[in-house]
Amino acid sequence: MVGLLISQIVLSLVLAVIFLIRPSVTANVGWKIVAFIGLCILPAMCIVGGMNTHIVRSEQRRFCISCHAMEPYGRSLYLDDSKFLPAQHFQNHRVPPDTACESCHADYSIYGPFKDKARGLTRIFMQYVSSPPNPITIPGGYSNLQCLHCHEGARSFMENPVHSAMMSTLTSNQMSCLTSGCHDSVHDVNDLKTAKFWSPGQ
Amino acid sequence: MKISALGIENFLRVSSVLIILGLVVEIISLLWFHPLSFVLFAFVAITLIGLGILVYLASLVFATEPKTGEKHPA
Repeated sequence: MVGLLISQIVLSLVLAVIFLIRPSVTANVGWKIVAFIGLCILPAMCIVGGMNTHIVRSEQRRFCISCHAMEPYGRSLYLDDSKFLPAQHFQNHRVPPDTACESCHADYSIYGPFKDKARGLTRIFMQYVSSPPNPITIPGGYSNLQCLHCHEGARSFMENPVHSAMMSTLTSNQMSCLTSGCHDSVHDVNDLKTAKFWSPGQ
Repeated sequence: MKISALGIENFLRVSSVLIILGLVVEIISLLWFHPLSFVLFAFVAITLIGLGILVYLASLVFATEPKTGEKHPA
């Protein structure tokens, strides 16, 4: 896909340079069609292709943690303790490791991707114009729907008596999966200095 | 001055410049792996390329062809 985008950009650039240097060539009907392709169709395709590439790229873990404020959250994925939910999911590949952040924090509703991008722009504004909140919180709290997107219907989840007893409370988001006493150990970025880390390949 | 008096060639030059600048910004944003690269693409590259397309489309509507016998400057 990136190769196709690069060839579109190069072709579009070449045509734009031709029409910049010699706009008079468009007097010919054939060149009029080429101008329409080079100055309208191809640039529009470059916008669509560029947007697609940027969206795919923004789903990557290394993109998320390239913001200074997010760096400790990326490190917390390597905590050597299975009680930490994100670390456990990441290290055991319960979520794709390259898109680990997106897998658990994406809004899976219809307009979710648009809301995610708008929220992402707000975070960029906080990072570079104002200042990121400390501690960083998720507006509206962490939704159970993000857990249930994968776990709902899974045998080990459904057969767990604790889960089945409170299923309606979980699906209606009345009680958070991250409630104290359940799965409350998440990123824990404040205690990273003293924590032990897992090193892949050891 | 009327827009139509600008001539199709000037429209094409302006359109080409905007598109070239937009594509250069797009290339920079693709090479730069950083959250700001998305902002650069979404707000600068798309605006420049979009304006270039609009100027080209405007040339189809407003610009007049050089009269027969008139010499092309390029």
